[in-house]
Amino acid sequence: MSTSSKKEAARQRIAERRAAEAAARAAEQRRRRTVVGGVVAAVVVVVAVVVAIVVQTGRTSTAADAASPGNLSAGGNGYTFSVGTGPVTVDVYEDFQCPNCRDFEDAAGSTLEQLQQSGAVTIVYHGMAFLDSSRNDDYSTRALNAAAVVASDAGTAAYQEFHDLLYANQPDEQTGSGLTDDQLVAYAQQAGATGEDVATDIRDLVYGDWVEDATDQASKDGVTGTPTVLVDGTKLTDLSADGLRTAVEDAAG
Amino acid sequence: MRSEHVRPWLATAARLLLGGVLVVAGALKFPDPAAAERAVRAYQLLPEPLVAPVAFGLPAVEVVVGLALLAGVAVRAAALATAVLMVLFLVGIVSAWARGLQIDCGCFGGGGQVAAGDTRYLSETLRDTGLLLVALALARWPRSRLALAPRLEPATP
Repeated sequence: MSTSSKKEAARQRIAERRAAEAAARAAEQRRRRTVVGGVVAAVVVVVAVVVAIVVQTGRTSTAADAASPGNLSAGGNGYTFSVGTGPVTVDVYEDFQCPNCRDFEDAAGSTLEQLQQSGAVTIVYHGMAFLDSSRNDDYSTRALNAAAVVASDAGTAAYQEFHDLLYANQPDEQTGSGLTDDQLVAYAQQAGATGEDVATDIRDLVYGDWVEDATDQASKDGVTGTPTVLVDGTKLTDLSADGLRTAVEDAAG
Repeated sequence: MRSEHVRPWLATAARLLLGGVLVVAGALKFPDPAAAERAVRAYQLLPEPLVAPVAFGLPAVEVVVGLALLAGVAVRAAALATAVLMVLFLVGIVSAWARGLQIDCGCFGGGGQVAAGDTRYLSETLRDTGLLLVALALARWPRSRLALAPRLEPATP
């Protein structure tokens, strides 16, 4: 082999090695870029998730010493009002702004109250407030707060009376703007809540945090919509007067 | 080849579709955090301690992944993340359907129970399946036009 061809071969080997090194460097760079990119992406996602959880938790948290209304159900979960002493328990989950709840009240409300007055059932009212909007000025929350004020001031019979008044005068969910605080105060007085703090407590949402916690509690009870009616713990599917009466008779045995 | 010119634009369209859906769906879950919690709880799948983290964290993931797709950054990873999200949503929706729950998926905020005739499980399932397929296709061919960081995409094999 000639000297020149040996040199040529050596040059070629060197060039090949350099090319290989360059390719390795490029691959290393790509790898590093991928790793750095992956880490940055993971950090961005984690930060966004943590910030969202912290902010949203702050927005949903209520004061631990939130004011609770009086005359709550004895032995209840702290968010219900009971009327009657009958052996069969009828749990009613309702939102004062919910049109289906008004339909239920129209169809079976008076039957339910007759069953309670005749001593057949105990009604347990679980208020919920999830139909707040800017258009109705958070009517769901204001209405349930007002109902709690009424129960506190005048007892659960007055709560029931107030409850009936609010359904009889329910503003439209889609187009209405909710009852005003003045109207709520007037209905509260009509229901028998005449204490001097009633008006201020209604206007100041004195049980606002309690309302939020009550709604949360109902959701934890597995209630995902209103009206939800339980007859001795069994969900009532036929929300007519006959459906209710039959279910109560069956439960009574 | 014609397809070489068309494919990157299809990928761009897929990015905008998936990114747009995710950002909107995520953002709509922020205004009412209590409703977001109830929507998650309505699936009756998670233990109570996990409800709030999922209700608040998942929308954040949706928004981040969606923004990455819209901007065209880390498109393959974002497309894969989208596919994972869609599979999770499908599991939730189909299981709610199978268990006979009557809920709205809460996909775009809201959620919770609806009347028996108002469930839309079929359309929700079809929609998320369609988005899943688009996401998988985008993960396979992530190179697209109008992307902020197209050079970071691996060469299409």
